[in-house]
Amino acid sequence: MEFLFDGGFWLSVLQIIAIDILLGGDNAVVIALACRRLPEHQRNRGIFWGVIGAIGLRIVLIYFALHLLALPFLKIVGGLLLLWIGVKLLLPEGEDEHGRIEGGTTLFSAVRTVVIADAVMSLDNVIAVAAAAKGDIALVIFGIVVSIPVIVWGSRFVLRLMDRFPVVIVLGGALLGWIAGGMLVGDVVWHDRIAARLPHAALVAGLAGAALVVFVGRWLSGRMTARSAPLREIPLDGHGDG
Amino acid sequence: MTLRVLVAVDGSLPSGRALGHVIDLVRAGAGLEIHILNVQIPVESGHVRMFVTPEEIDGWYRDEGIAELEPSRIALDAAGIGYTQHIAVGHLVETICRYAAEQAFDILVMGTRGRRGLGGALMGSVARGVLAATTIPLTLVK
Repeated sequence: MEFLFDGGFWLSVLQIIAIDILLGGDNAVVIALACRRLPEHQRNRGIFWGVIGAIGLRIVLIYFALHLLALPFLKIVGGLLLLWIGVKLLLPEGEDEHGRIEGGTTLFSAVRTVVIADAVMSLDNVIAVAAAAKGDIALVIFGIVVSIPVIVWGSRFVLRLMDRFPVVIVLGGALLGWIAGGMLVGDVVWHDRIAARLPHAALVAGLAGAALVVFVGRWLSGRMTARSAPLREIPLDGHGDG
Repeated sequence: MTLRVLVAVDGSLPSGRALGHVIDLVRAGAGLEIHILNVQIPVESGHVRMFVTPEEIDGWYRDEGIAELEPSRIALDAAGIGYTQHIAVGHLVETICRYAAEQAFDILVMGTRGRRGLGGALMGSVARGVLAATTIPLTLVK
């Protein structure tokens, strides 16, 4: 039980929870939307099984990711991917993605949508959590279990927090950049050589990664939001969705 | 003369008080054309759009918005006052201010918890943001 008093352990747990909350908001929305059309008595069951399926799948994916990251060059690839994920978090949403799966009105189809969506959406999450956990599957499971209630019931609060304080998103991007930096220099290919020349390589690389993500993200989003979007109003009277 | 009033509501107690104030003004003889507005924070990302149709997402905004407008509808119906309801999607402060300005309203009314300290800094600050950003006359009801 001595791990409970280890500062590094708790730091990793906090990082994993932050990642799950920041990158898991999508999942909460898909779960809510996929189960919206279900009859009242099935809705909670749909949400329950959707969450169970999504989390089980995620633990399996992260388990494989942890093992893959021990291979040469894969931490470099993962670190670069994570830098991109961090930058993407800071960008306003584009209109480019299409090809969707219908929500459906049966319990089975709702759960299926949730699980398939989670498999696709959790790639970024999986890489980030695997990197933050530094090889410890127990840490991954602990972090995910702790963040489930936040993702399922607290998504409204998280959305509100991000609406009020956009800086939360910037901090999230910086966190991902920080993890990416440490991951890049931690690859077995050059870890020992770097450590011999630069004693605090992970720290330096982490800071550089965080700075890079925030700088690039802000620069790109500054260029993208130059044109202001029209106000979006939802019509109340007609039943527009047909 | 009739003034066009926009009341921004979210179904909370403070927005109920804001609407109550407007109802009082009408009862006292003020000529007001009342519009109630609920703003939903956007939930869709590229990922969400991959799995859910825009109609589903709009339907969700509509359901959530109608639910948050409900207390205001009940209060206005009970008072026998006519009104128009709106649901918009966007960043809360920016959308409220833009809606009021673009639709040329004369007055903007909203509730505030009037909290101080940390609680106010965390949650009660939509009203403060609107106060800082709005270009039309604003009434805050505590």
